[in-house]
Amino acid sequence: MDGPDLAWYLIVSAILFSIGTLGVLVRRSPLIVLLSLEIMLNAANLALISFARLHGGHDGQIFALTVMAVAASEVVVGLGLIVAMSRRRLTLDVDSFRLLRG
Amino acid sequence: MAIQAAWICLFAPLAGAFAITVMGESITRRTAAWLSTVSVFVAFAGAVVAFVELLGKSAEEREQLSTAWTWLSTTNLEIGMTLLVDPLSVTMMLIVSGVGGLIVLYSIGYMDGDPEERRYFAYMSFFVFAMLLLVQAGNFLLLLAGWGLVGLASYLLIGFWHERKEAVDAAKKAFIMNAFGDATMALAFFVLIWQTGSLEFGDVFARAEGMSSTLLNLVALGLLGGAVAKSAQIPLHTWLPDAMEGPTPVSALIHAATMVTAGVYLIVRAHPLFELAPTIQDLAAGLGAITLVVAGLIALVQTDIKRVIAYSTMSQIGYMFVGVGLGAYANGMFHLMTHAFFKALLFMAAGLVIHHLAGEQDIRQMGGLRRVMPKTAIAFLVGSLALVGIPPLSGFFSKDSILASALASGGYGQLLFAAGAAGALLTGLYTFRLFFTVFLGQPSQLVLDRDHGEPHHRGEGPWTMTVPVAVLTVLAVVGGWLQIPDVWHPFGDWLHDVAEPLVEPSVAQDLLASALAVGVALIGIGIAWVFYGARRRDLPRAAALRDILEHKLYVDELYDAVFYRPAVWMAGMWRRTIEEPLIGGSIAGVSLGARRAGSALGETQTGYLRSYALAIAGAAAVLVVVFLAVQ
Amino acid sequence: MGNFLVWVVWVGAAFACLGSGVAVISFTNPFYSALALIGNLGSLAVLYLLASAEFLAAAQVLVYAGAVMVMFLFVIAYLGDSAGVPFGGGPSWVAVGAIVASAAILVEVVVAIGLKAGGALSNEADVGAAFGSPGEFGRLFLTDHLLAFEITSIVLLVAAIGGVILGTQTRSERELDAQEAHGRA
Repeated sequence: MDGPDLAWYLIVSAILFSIGTLGVLVRRSPLIVLLSLEIMLNAANLALISFARLHGGHDGQIFALTVMAVAASEVVVGLGLIVAMSRRRLTLDVDSFRLLRG
Repeated sequence: MAIQAAWICLFAPLAGAFAITVMGESITRRTAAWLSTVSVFVAFAGAVVAFVELLGKSAEEREQLSTAWTWLSTTNLEIGMTLLVDPLSVTMMLIVSGVGGLIVLYSIGYMDGDPEERRYFAYMSFFVFAMLLLVQAGNFLLLLAGWGLVGLASYLLIGFWHERKEAVDAAKKAFIMNAFGDATMALAFFVLIWQTGSLEFGDVFARAEGMSSTLLNLVALGLLGGAVAKSAQIPLHTWLPDAMEGPTPVSALIHAATMVTAGVYLIVRAHPLFELAPTIQDLAAGLGAITLVVAGLIALVQTDIKRVIAYSTMSQIGYMFVGVGLGAYANGMFHLMTHAFFKALLFMAAGLVIHHLAGEQDIRQMGGLRRVMPKTAIAFLVGSLALVGIPPLSGFFSKDSILASALASGGYGQLLFAAGAAGALLTGLYTFRLFFTVFLGQPSQLVLDRDHGEPHHRGEGPWTMTVPVAVLTVLAVVGGWLQIPDVWHPFGDWLHDVAEPLVEPSVAQDLLASALAVGVALIGIGIAWVFYGARRRDLPRAAALRDILEHKLYVDELYDAVFYRPAVWMAGMWRRTIEEPLIGGSIAGVSLGARRAGSALGETQTGYLRSYALAIAGAAAVLVVVFLAVQ
Repeated sequence: MGNFLVWVVWVGAAFACLGSGVAVISFTNPFYSALALIGNLGSLAVLYLLASAEFLAAAQVLVYAGAVMVMFLFVIAYLGDSAGVPFGGGPSWVAVGAIVASAAILVEVVVAIGLKAGGALSNEADVGAAFGSPGEFGRLFLTDHLLAFEITSIVLLVAAIGGVILGTQTRSERELDAQEAHGRA
């Protein structure tokens, strides 16, 4: 294969995944959290594709496509939630949802 | 036939006690009382049948064992519910059920009107059963069972009037001191099981000769400990005077005629073991001698009529211990029998006095009762003379036979003889001090108030009380005629095969002992007459001596300081340091801990979305490590 | 020469990817974050191409960057001011823990890669030109991976329904809205 080894792809994927985790945990706005979640999913996709390339099989790519579809659906629902929240005049702050406290 | 009679003898009182308990308030108090009395007399009938039948048999056949069922069965040890019918046990059966029956009959009158009569009679029947179990036991374990049960019955009966704190305390004291004796006996039995592999009398006696002398001494010492506790000898004697808190018939039955003599019975029954440990047997005799002198001294200053008689009991049992300690088993048992007669008589006569004076027991309040209760006075006089050992009454023959045996037992025996003689002096002194103070002289204020100096027109008590007293009076007179040394000794022959005496006094020793004893006793009576008789001379001051004697040689105080206070302190300390914090606290602690754990776990439910996400991320990290490791 | 080019492209795409990722989580303004994410998705598409996943690269750009991000931007625009909330705040341990957890995951994955697949990652399979083409995908979806295909379609349907439901207002809410608007006007 031309270009870098597969290992490099995986390293990029790992770094991207941790960036996404950091974003999920640190940001307080649900929108940004969703965006970070997307980053994590994409990192996983990258890893899947890399391994598909390594083994020469398509399974990884099929999986990645499915992940994309699921991610899209999840974004739909998440954004719908955020819109519904803003309609009810709720603060869009993750820290303020504390009804589960106890 | 004898065996069946023995079984009936054993279980009749138990059936009586059980019936009274079960029927409870559905029978009248009187019915319960008669039920108990009848059950004991049935036992007596059984004992008589057994006795008659044994008489007809030859000496070898006189030992009959009967096992009803196997009680304890392990690989190394098997114990059955075994009854032994032999001359010794039949003698005890007759005494226990006979005198017991008379006393229970007497109780019907004495306890009349008490609201808890049924309980009393159930306890009395139960006691008779337990005592019979003790004397009829065919092995040591059953004997121990009977031993413990009589201790229980004693506790129940001493504390019968449980609203009185003194009675409850006395009951506890008796039980605890006897528990000490039970413990030493149990230890002795453990050694016996270990060494001989059995607790059946025959097996143990046969195999005991192979044991080392240290172990034999330990076994004998353990048995002696139990005997000393049960028979209230020094040093385990302090419970007996306090036991007078119980009703007078109880004192008569348990603490004069039967239970306290169980120690003597034990030594006679286990005499092969004691003969293998002669030091301990001598110790038994020595303790008996010390007790008989000390008890006599203390009895001199007692003011409660029952306590005088109690100390007298202690002293007389000391004589019995001297007898069996020297190996004169038949003589010891003979004295046991006559003592049962005249001591029960004395207690019951005293009971008549107490009953008549509506519960007064202080002799300083009494006086001149001879005129008011003449028949009781005669009974009491007969009992006193028998106790002191004046011929031809029963005590003379029995006590002097023991003294003669002491004389015949070498240097140590002669020392014991001296003690016995001193004891005889004291016996005469304190007994007649009591008689003169209560019955002679001018009527006291109390007596005057009660009867105005005239004999009571209704007699001195109901027939249920006077008839037993009369019967015992006769027995106290003639009971000694069963064994006139060197002339006629059926009693000795009867017990000869069971317990062969170690010492046979010669005729000369018999006469010498008797003469000395009677002479000394008369001196005692004379001294009593001088100080307490018609003229009532003043007593010498001797304040320090009187103080010591009145405090019963301060033994109670000693035991209190040595045993009771430390035990209470330790119990309190354990409660403070262990029970309350640890055991009590642990229960509260469990609930507290559960609550704390719950609230601590609740801390994790923060409601923070981000903390949950963090938890997920952390868990994922850990899981990756796990997967890597497992690979 | 070709290899060198590939390397250059790869490095550029990788850095763009990572840089835009960092940008997503750092910007305060959600609009900028969303734009950074678009950049991220684009560079990822380049990387997919370099890994012989042509169809996926195209799908990435079409679906993700084209549809999903546009949706995001719509919502951000709809929310307006209320969309932006500063990051940070909350208990301190969350921030620390977050950094620790991320670092841990990163380290672990790197280690995993280094240790486990040290040797295995060098032997790539030989792939033909049809690898990663739409034809292959179609064939596989309708044969080997039919179940995944069907379930994915159901998931999408459910998401669509869910979105509609979340979006509707009940009558009372509509009245409340009208009242408010009336009050404001």
